[in-house]
Amino acid sequence: MPKVIKIDKPEDCNGCEMCVFEIQRQLEKVGLEGSLIRILTKHDNGYEYPVFTPDVDPRTNTINIERIKKICPKMVFEIEEEIK
Amino acid sequence: MEIVNKKALIVDLNKRSSEVKGLPDLRVYIGGLGLGLALYEMYRDKDPVIFSVGPLNGFFPFASKTSIVLSDDGVMEDLYIGGNLSTRMKFSGLDSIVICGRSEDRVILDISNTSVSIKTSDMDINTLGLPGKRSILSVDYEKNNVLVQSYFSTPDYFLYKTLSEKNIMGMVVTGTEFHKPNNFSDYENLYQNILNKINEVRVEKGIYPSCSNCPMGCGKSKFGEIGGNVLVHSLVSCHYADKIYSDLGIVFSCLNVLGYDYTHEDLENLPVIVEETLKRLN
Repeated sequence: MPKVIKIDKPEDCNGCEMCVFEIQRQLEKVGLEGSLIRILTKHDNGYEYPVFTPDVDPRTNTINIERIKKICPKMVFEIEEEIK
Repeated sequence: MEIVNKKALIVDLNKRSSEVKGLPDLRVYIGGLGLGLALYEMYRDKDPVIFSVGPLNGFFPFASKTSIVLSDDGVMEDLYIGGNLSTRMKFSGLDSIVICGRSEDRVILDISNTSVSIKTSDMDINTLGLPGKRSILSVDYEKNNVLVQSYFSTPDYFLYKTLSEKNIMGMVVTGTEFHKPNNFSDYENLYQNILNKINEVRVEKGIYPSCSNCPMGCGKSKFGEIGGNVLVHSLVSCHYADKIYSDLGIVFSCLNVLGYDYTHEDLENLPVIVEETLKRLN
């Protein structure tokens, strides 16, 4: 069964964007444009820290998702078997 | 995106105008601190504040700070701020943003790659730029501070003082350029080698927001840096990764794989060049 990447612990994302740059390296480029993962930053005035939200394009599953999972220092991602 | 030839965006608040300037004569300054001081010398009569990145920002882990050079009552100060500003500046294709003069009204600078739009202060800064590709630097006139991503700051009051005197309320930088190093597998291997040196970084992994392209999430990055190692701050790496980025062999390899033609002598001479520039400025 094909495997897919899921955001398991979005609340743990620290905004480091290691996943963004990893995915770009797999596409043999360095930058933010066209990345299949974006990290969106939001600040709620009630909190000291900004909130980071990973936004994952489903096309991410066409590349090496194990490497995406592995590079995240906060283990935000999980890999699961796709249920159709 | 062309990365080897240095480029600065010059914003003149008095004239509300901007221009992009190639800087072939400033090659020897490498970037960051060195480049910022050289640009300060060029524009000193316009009381500039200069944001600069270095050749490694965006490309290698732990090279995640942005250098800020300004004058506080005639004394040169170099500050370093974390967050995602360095990667957005890098992928806008700029090495430096030089902000000259003073605006009559409070303004927000909306920078997208090399173009600038000067917005009025009633604009909601969060609506500017492209989410995921932008960095928001905001000046809080009530709390007297300057924050990137509403979190990362600089030590001391110098940056707030300078930006508030210029009537700047914020700056949004969006970078949509990208680069393909010629020998990608060598670049990728070097990236991984440096990432494997994570134990040489002098901070513990933490639970805090992280700078872009740094996995540490340490508690130190919130407060930025002031002064320090000339090479490290010209690259512009995090001060706490100085064991990695003060190693000339590693730095030379990084620059080489990205296509820069710096020699070991260029790197060794940098502190002297920077010191001479500082002497002229002080």
